[in-house]
Amino acid sequence: MRDIVFMSLLVVIILALTYLTYSGGLGDLPPQDIRVIARNYLNLTYNQEISWLWAASPEAVTAIVWDYRGLDTLFETVVFYGAILAALTLFRSISKIPEFVSSAGLSLIVKRVTAIVTLAILTVAASTALHGHLTPGGGFQGGAIASVAPLLLLVVFGKQFFIERKITYSKLLSLRNISLVLLGLNSVALVILGFLIGVGGFVFQNQAKAVSVLSYPSYLLDVPLGGSLFFFNLFEFLAVASGFTLVFTILLSRDDTLRKELEGEELGY
Amino acid sequence: MMDYVDLVFLTMGLLALSSVLFTFLTVRTKDLMYAVIYSSVQSVAYALIYFLLLAPDIVLVYVAVAVGIYPLVIILLIKKVGRYEVRV
Repeated sequence: MRDIVFMSLLVVIILALTYLTYSGGLGDLPPQDIRVIARNYLNLTYNQEISWLWAASPEAVTAIVWDYRGLDTLFETVVFYGAILAALTLFRSISKIPEFVSSAGLSLIVKRVTAIVTLAILTVAASTALHGHLTPGGGFQGGAIASVAPLLLLVVFGKQFFIERKITYSKLLSLRNISLVLLGLNSVALVILGFLIGVGGFVFQNQAKAVSVLSYPSYLLDVPLGGSLFFFNLFEFLAVASGFTLVFTILLSRDDTLRKELEGEELGY
Repeated sequence: MMDYVDLVFLTMGLLALSSVLFTFLTVRTKDLMYAVIYSSVQSVAYALIYFLLLAPDIVLVYVAVAVGIYPLVIILLIKKVGRYEVRV
């Protein structure tokens, strides 16, 4: 009986949404014209004739994310950083407990397949992040893809695999902190440079504007570099990948270690 | 008769309907491991819709999170609370 009510409710909702969409609730589908704001971004992002307003990146989305709306993305990064930091703080003493139990991992066949797949995942991730200013993708996307690789390795090869290769908790934490500091410095680099040589600059400056002549390089050899966008993507990639890996390392610890950490001291939960 | 745009919208509609079906299965199933898999299938349908809506940036992060990271976290949780849902 409950199932029937639930199903009919579902069908009614679907039909209602279909009716609204079909009768023009979302406007013309597909849209017949480009909206003004989209047209502006498309006209400005890689228009060499208006190079005092461009972002030097053929990818409009990355240009919006890290140049035109760079501050928004910086705050997103800070929120993500804070969330991971909170998780690490909750389980901070786990990092100091050495894992005495060495898990042998899964069978040889799974290990070989995983080794090949891991290489492919890391390649795709690096290409997504480093080509973020040329093709769809970017630092966060690349970092999220890359973090699947250590996750697979942790499950298939066991935690011992990481410890033997000296990929430790503190090294990952340092990598993450360094890349976040560099990300922050990248956003104010031209302000500092402008201050030192006595010309104006602004936060999140990428290419030279009317009020400021400083500029990141827009080409590397003959490939568009996107100025600061390339560096933002690179540092975000490293920060996201190492942050996720840290959290996975903690989540995949032994059960009793985790439980002891959550039980707390004399006050209990 | 049916041009390219119609085909895209038809595919999007079918994907949206199948995502509703898989959401229903996710909610109803008693085996939580199956629930994770159904939920991932629903996420894949959403990822394809994003792709058809010309948002490849979203697709790249959505696939990695929805098929890799999110099932892992849920499976770790299931490992701790037990695989089968019991009604009390």
